[in-house]
Amino acid sequence: MHGLFRWSSKWWPGVIPLVVFWAIAAWTSTPPLESDLAARSTSALKDSVLDKTRIAVAGRDVTFAADAFSEDGRRSAVAAVQAVPGVRQVNDETRLVPEAKPFVWSAERDVVRVTLRGSAPLPASKGRLFEAARAGLGGVEVVDQMNLSRGAPPRFDNVAQLLLDQIGKLKDGKITLSDTKVSLSGMARDLGGREAIAAALKNLPEGFSVAANEIKAPPYIFQAYKDPVAVTLTLTGYVPDNNVHGALATAAGRKFFSEKVVDNLKASVGAPSGFAAAVAPALGALSRLSTGTLVVTDREVKLSGDAFYDAAAAQIRAGLGKDFPQGWQFKAEISVKPAAAPVDATVCQQLFSDLLAKGKIRFESGRASIDPDSAGLLDRLVETALRCPTANIEVAGHTDADGEDAFNQALSEKRAQAVTDYLVKAGLPAGRFTAMGYGSTKPVAGNDTDEGKAQNRRIDFMVRE
Amino acid sequence: MAYLVTFHWTWLLASLLLGLAMGWIAVVHRGQGVSKRTARWLAVLAAALVALALARVIPGRPGYWLDLGLIMFALYLAGCAVGSWLRDWALSRDAPAA
Repeated sequence: MHGLFRWSSKWWPGVIPLVVFWAIAAWTSTPPLESDLAARSTSALKDSVLDKTRIAVAGRDVTFAADAFSEDGRRSAVAAVQAVPGVRQVNDETRLVPEAKPFVWSAERDVVRVTLRGSAPLPASKGRLFEAARAGLGGVEVVDQMNLSRGAPPRFDNVAQLLLDQIGKLKDGKITLSDTKVSLSGMARDLGGREAIAAALKNLPEGFSVAANEIKAPPYIFQAYKDPVAVTLTLTGYVPDNNVHGALATAAGRKFFSEKVVDNLKASVGAPSGFAAAVAPALGALSRLSTGTLVVTDREVKLSGDAFYDAAAAQIRAGLGKDFPQGWQFKAEISVKPAAAPVDATVCQQLFSDLLAKGKIRFESGRASIDPDSAGLLDRLVETALRCPTANIEVAGHTDADGEDAFNQALSEKRAQAVTDYLVKAGLPAGRFTAMGYGSTKPVAGNDTDEGKAQNRRIDFMVRE
Repeated sequence: MAYLVTFHWTWLLASLLLGLAMGWIAVVHRGQGVSKRTARWLAVLAAALVALALARVIPGRPGYWLDLGLIMFALYLAGCAVGSWLRDWALSRDAPAA
């Protein structure tokens, strides 16, 4: 032992090369050591949920800055870096992400893009929402302006996902989630979109509620165009359901006796209340026009076109609005078709016969009141009568052979009189018309079939010079 | 520590070999040794540096360099001790024969 002390006094010369070694070792090993520790620290953190992670290594000391989402997460991340072999000490510059109060998240859609704003609770949910928006809105640009905050309500992800699905149903608008309250505004993309969104919002998890739903529906449009050249009635737009569709198509067939009905209607939800009750009389008014367009937009009915004669125009303007349900508006732009050239009595008779061959004047069963569906035909008859102002016309009523002769005789007379009254009301001189009833004495078909009876129940116009 | 050994084993081995060589030479070296007084001061200095390293007072790169230097120095001393002892043992074995 004594020897060791003696020898050790002579060990010092080796310190000189040792210092040289040390200097070279320090010079060459510091950068690789630091990058190795940085890599190890980063991989130690790969399972930690952090934002804005920054790792700087000086020598063996790690400066670790990050935003954590919970105190536990923050502590365990620091501990994970501390446990990395070779790390001497950790300068802890971590902090918790700020807490948002209230926790607001929103998705806003305009014409070309969807912008996600507000707070998301975790980087993963932020990423998921962004991806879901991109996938769900195919082709629309998605802008992510979300930041990360603490304080999200439970089940935030589910709710945000559900709301993102709704943004696809909007043409433009904004959906905001503030804590547990959902507010919506904007315009639905399709008819029924508003209803679909309202239905989807019923699936919000418990605890969440809709504070304001101001989604507007696009206008509910129904259009009918009567084309006198092509002799068609074109129906386009929407009807509430197939029942209303069928009823309207049938009514159109009755009211437009000579036109071919081109039916391009589609069924869709979102109709204003009283739709069928308003459209049916509006179609009746259109049938009285020579050419015309009916546009029903939400609760506004707009009818434009040419009536056959002055009195008809006045009747349509005055009469239509009365039939409408509460809250409906009616705008009429009715002009009168220029009078057609006068024709002689023979041509007049021919025109009457042609019209009455295409359609029949209908009455209520067993009574003498004219079915409103026949207004279109009657207006055409009035127009024809106006073209031969000198001709006297016999309006002849006929019935089928069912029932008592006396009753039939009386009914046929009353019906002929009702038609004559209509003509006189239209402005024709009463003296030109004679109402005659023939009962069932002049059948044009056999009374043994329903079809034959229907043909026998008729009004004829006979021109008497 | 284990990390430093695995990362720097070449330099540490070099220090150890340097120590072995120095220890081997020191036994028969005729030059001036360090005086007792100086040796005591050097020991105090070394102890102070070790204390600084253990207390982790020096931050960042200088702190790392201090650790590295102390480990190399420790291995050097160990090498010296082993080298000197081996030389002494070799000499004493040869002496009776001579």
